[in-house]
Amino acid sequence: MNKKTGNCPNFSMRQKTASVLVNKVIDKINKENLKKSNLIWLELTGCSGNIISLLDGADPNFKDLISQMVNFIYNNSLMAAEGEAAIRRLFSVADDDYILAVEGAVTTKDNGIYNIIGNWRGKPVTAYEAIKQLGEKASYVIAVGTCASDGGISAAKPNPAECVGIQSILNKKVIKLPGCPCNPDWFMGTLAYIMLCGEPELDDKARPLMFYSTLIHDICPRRPYFEKGIFASKLGEKTCMFKLGCRGPVTRVDCPITKWNHRVNWPIGDDSPCIGCAQFGFPDKMKPFISYNTTREESK
Amino acid sequence: MDEYKIVIKMFNNQKSKINDTIACLYISSKYHPPKNLIKHLGKKILNIKLLQIIQNTTPNFPMFTQAELTTYNGKNGNPAYIAINGVVYDVTNEATWAAATHFGLSAGKDLTNAFASCHAGQPILNKLKIVGKMADE
Amino acid sequence: MTKRIIINPVTRISGFMEIDAIIDNDTIVDAKTQGLLFRGFEKMLMGRNPFDAVYFTQRICGICSTAHSMASTLALEDAMGIAVSEQGKYLRDIIHACEFLQNHIRHFYQYTIPDFVKLPAGNPLFVTNHKDFRLSKPKNDIIVQHYFDSLEVSRSAHEMLAILGGKAPHNHGIFIGGITTQATMEKISKIRSILKKIKQFIYEKMIPDAYTIANYYQEYYKIGQGYGNLLSFGCFNKYIKLGTLYVDPLVYSNGTIKKLIAEEITENINHSWYRAQSDTYTPFETLPNPDIKKEDAYSWVKAPRYKDLPYEVGPLARMWLCGEYRNGISAMDRTLARVLEAKKIVEIMITLLNNLIPGVSVQQTYSIPISANGSGLIDTTRGALGHWIKIDNSVISFYQIITPSAWNLSTKASNNLPGPAEKALIGTHINNCNNPVELGRIIRSFDPCVSCATHVYSQGNLIKTLQLMP
Repeated sequence: MNKKTGNCPNFSMRQKTASVLVNKVIDKINKENLKKSNLIWLELTGCSGNIISLLDGADPNFKDLISQMVNFIYNNSLMAAEGEAAIRRLFSVADDDYILAVEGAVTTKDNGIYNIIGNWRGKPVTAYEAIKQLGEKASYVIAVGTCASDGGISAAKPNPAECVGIQSILNKKVIKLPGCPCNPDWFMGTLAYIMLCGEPELDDKARPLMFYSTLIHDICPRRPYFEKGIFASKLGEKTCMFKLGCRGPVTRVDCPITKWNHRVNWPIGDDSPCIGCAQFGFPDKMKPFISYNTTREESK
Repeated sequence: MDEYKIVIKMFNNQKSKINDTIACLYISSKYHPPKNLIKHLGKKILNIKLLQIIQNTTPNFPMFTQAELTTYNGKNGNPAYIAINGVVYDVTNEATWAAATHFGLSAGKDLTNAFASCHAGQPILNKLKIVGKMADE
Repeated sequence: MTKRIIINPVTRISGFMEIDAIIDNDTIVDAKTQGLLFRGFEKMLMGRNPFDAVYFTQRICGICSTAHSMASTLALEDAMGIAVSEQGKYLRDIIHACEFLQNHIRHFYQYTIPDFVKLPAGNPLFVTNHKDFRLSKPKNDIIVQHYFDSLEVSRSAHEMLAILGGKAPHNHGIFIGGITTQATMEKISKIRSILKKIKQFIYEKMIPDAYTIANYYQEYYKIGQGYGNLLSFGCFNKYIKLGTLYVDPLVYSNGTIKKLIAEEITENINHSWYRAQSDTYTPFETLPNPDIKKEDAYSWVKAPRYKDLPYEVGPLARMWLCGEYRNGISAMDRTLARVLEAKKIVEIMITLLNNLIPGVSVQQTYSIPISANGSGLIDTTRGALGHWIKIDNSVISFYQIITPSAWNLSTKASNNLPGPAEKALIGTHINNCNNPVELGRIIRSFDPCVSCATHVYSQGNLIKTLQLMP
């Protein structure tokens, strides 16, 4: 919808990052130069919105992921099996190579009993125990979304379930893909990169540089309005939403490039401010999301 | 001291701006004697007017009490000011201070400790406009 | 012989859940539905900027986030005394309708179908524990194909949503006054072209597929009936110009339909791990405090009640109350009503799109009241959703959320009546106790969302050691 960004060669190249990587993986698998990876996707304390976001992936898409790229061993939202049979499947891969994707934070309160993911041999398995066991043995661990990366909204004050990001309880390096939810491109691109070349280049917060290197503010199509001090006074206006509380200047992610849902739109394109959902500290450090009483006069 | 180096760097970059000069003066008078500053800046400041200002140890500079600072919360027409190490800065139009808030902090407060824990050693204050200093209470 | 069956996790729902059923003579004589995830959103909301509730509460649920943006917006509008414009209402109801389509298509194909249709062998995601697959191979193959085709269709429903709502899940569009942006001609025509394809899929594939399954599993018209008490807060209704396109706030009990009286809604914590001054309270009264050691409690799901009785909510309740579906109340009827509701929603969306004036801006500058109360009651994908907000000193001082899944998965209240889903399980004959496929099928007919039942919690006893791996 945005013609300006649509024509930028840098933008259009970066839009293809994920699909180029995924296609390369599928191509290699078809030529038998690469084996499908085992993928476990655990949902922990969160909204299960990252798996829904993954289903929303268009290019690359979910069908290619499950049919051509990975053996999708476990996911609570989608797997046909249920009950102990499902949990048995989860632990059946524990001795194989597998990549672990996790969405949701880990509740640590009272030994983790605020989040039970299933029963194994008649006993409840806490998310905390599952992530500990499966996390340490995984070949790679990917935190999908802000809750798994940093606690996110599940850890919002006063953090009733004492939630933390999964890195806090694992001794193993966790690749973090914050975003509420995580954009399907960011996950599938990272997964494909891992299958092709191993760990991607990460920043000091363990985020893949290929998706998390740019400040939203620096590539925002509304940046010229900021420079000129032309600020929206309410939602729905087409100028800079800095005074309404836009967190684009502190949020580092490819959102303006990848956009959402077949690249049709993104929050700023919807005339609403960025709420910093992909930034560490979201939501408490990104609040308030929307303010109308910010001082608008030019300071002298 | 970090602030001192920042002041010199800032001065070299933006010496044409009188506000920055005042900033140099203020911070230097707080942490270092003016003579020391002159020595460090060396021949770069031959401007007599500037020397006169620097040698004047009581600059004409707004003073803020903690209570006064709270009104500068960036809301309802008030500018957004924050205090760090005794200096009051204007963040009204600072990009990272959308809606006069920054990573859970709000304007109108002394953020010396928060600044030290998050931005120690980062030369980021020099792009902020200085608007006053905190009164000793 | 008495047997106990525990299914945990109940997969293909949103969130974590356990079914704990007591079987006597192959028939379920008692059942507990328990959510296994605690988050505590209401407590998190205290002290926040009231406007933030719209984006914040969406994070309760990834599959029905739009529902919470609707309810929180309505609660804020009520508190602030803002009347939404007719165009604003059309715009946000279009976004809400997109969420219905996304949810219903995914719930039918990705969550329900694997219970009845044998999905391709070789994919670990499709391994099942039971063998009760009855469709002929050609019919089975067709629905398998539609399982995969549906992925593109459901995601395109979210694509429509994002055109007006910025992104999905967790949209930015729905807000006080309607939506944030304007519906340009370009956006409207893009939505129309996607909707055309979705409509075709629903009419030509989804509805016939549902009836195919119903035909092969006819006993499910008799299974999972529950109380037959139905409730709706209403949705796609009370338009100034268009009147009611779907359903008004109504309740059905003992064969009669009556107007819903919001003041009759209470929550009960008699059998839940909470304490409050009174075990029964109205939504504005009390936010109870957790208490693990409470006696006689067995779950952290609270028990919403209407006139002290449990009520079922969701697509079947709505379709029944508006008179469009009267075949019966059962597990299969719930699934059919949901699929038929998708068609109804498409029709409503077309009407709303036809009445849109392109380019209308509905946003204003809003100020937060120093002190106010408001409630937002709306029927959403899974049923009746309520948000109740109190504002003091211009920040949120109280927030109550009663979700559709809290109605359906509710615990026994003071009068010991089981919750609607528990009631639907009780009395069911189990063909094979080693593979009790009936339980999951009944529970999924409610489309439970345990992510939404934010107050829920596990058995209540501290688990000292967990034997995990052999």
